[in-house]
Amino acid sequence: MERKNFLKSLMIGAASGTALIACKKESTSSTDTTTGTTTTTTGGASSSNNCTVAPDETEGPFPTHTPASYVRSDITDGRTGYKLTSKITVVNHNNNCNALSGLLVDIWHCDAEGNYSEYGGSSMQSTNYTAVHFLRGRQTTDTTGTVTFIGIFPGWYSGRATHIHVHVYSASGTSLKVTQIAFPEGTGTSLAAVAGYSKGMTGYTYNKNDGVFSDDTAGIEIATVTGSTTDGFALSINLSVAA
Amino acid sequence: MSKRVITLCYRKIIRPNSVLPWDKLVHEDSYMEFKMQAQNFSTGTTYTSYAELTRYIPDAQKLSAMVTPSVSGYVQQLGGIIPDMLNILGRRFLKIKSYQFEIINSDINERDKHVVAIIFFSEPMLWHDTVDNYLLVSPYHAEQEIIEGEEILTDLFQLQPYLNIHAIKNLA
Repeated sequence: MERKNFLKSLMIGAASGTALIACKKESTSSTDTTTGTTTTTTGGASSSNNCTVAPDETEGPFPTHTPASYVRSDITDGRTGYKLTSKITVVNHNNNCNALSGLLVDIWHCDAEGNYSEYGGSSMQSTNYTAVHFLRGRQTTDTTGTVTFIGIFPGWYSGRATHIHVHVYSASGTSLKVTQIAFPEGTGTSLAAVAGYSKGMTGYTYNKNDGVFSDDTAGIEIATVTGSTTDGFALSINLSVAA
Repeated sequence: MSKRVITLCYRKIIRPNSVLPWDKLVHEDSYMEFKMQAQNFSTGTTYTSYAELTRYIPDAQKLSAMVTPSVSGYVQQLGGIIPDMLNILGRRFLKIKSYQFEIINSDINERDKHVVAIIFFSEPMLWHDTVDNYLLVSPYHAEQEIIEGEEILTDLFQLQPYLNIHAIKNLA
């Protein structure tokens, strides 16, 4: 008996459900013919020109603004290596080298083995929630024009000196500067202390032979790096941009 | 009727005129990220559209993946349930197994050209029967034995535009 009633209620549901979908189809096609643009009207929760059919369930959870997962200070993501704290200060070339606050600074570099992370899902793959993009991060410059990242001392790969990529954007996302940070070389430097991790330094490309840094004879792109393998290293550099 | 395991795929398209709060946030933030990342490829060229960038600069194919982290937080906010797709009771019921972010069109200088899609893939489901225009399904767990005569909870839903049966497997 109960089963029969249940089936009956299903049939009523089916009939009204069909009507609902038919209505939505009409609205889609009318939009198409009048404006030539398609509007998502699938599933009943999407919208079509002021005609929003909401699902029949309690509203929520309400979406909240969530920054891109690049936005983080600690970019380690479980990569092993000697700790490196990088402080990058952005100053204005057009205004007496005064600090620029509110800029977006992206950095990315390779891990101890010299590999970069992918972004979590290539164009052909789907991605899961936990996809990581290790050693990539974004911060906003503070009132002193500085951003701080915590990661590991980068490794190296064939053909390049050890480096960190930096991309500086205005608050609205306009590119202001794409550059790379080089490391000081020689006895007693962090580079010598890390010594290429397990890879060693055989076949390493030094700054003077590097395709990117070789023209930087004044050493503007070379950061100041202090510290040790036991305490970790601290990198600092000033980047001057025209803003 | 023999039982079949199906996976559904919903391609949710998000346009500049989207009105739902979630859609608007995804549009806004993915556009900002597109603009930022696209400049890694456009610098020194006159290309500003996604179509031009991907056509003339092969490396720009990475853009969809590079922009994905701008929407991953919003996908997490969905609580593991595919949006918009409703069962016959008007409830969302499809569980997200994975998703893929796609840039359909965009332009560094024109927000209104920014159209993206999030393609949601469902967890596998058993397709028991078809009632009228509706598919009768229940969650499928490979390790779970189907016991004859045992009651299982099911959902009825209708196929609709942008919802595809993405994969199918016949059970012996």
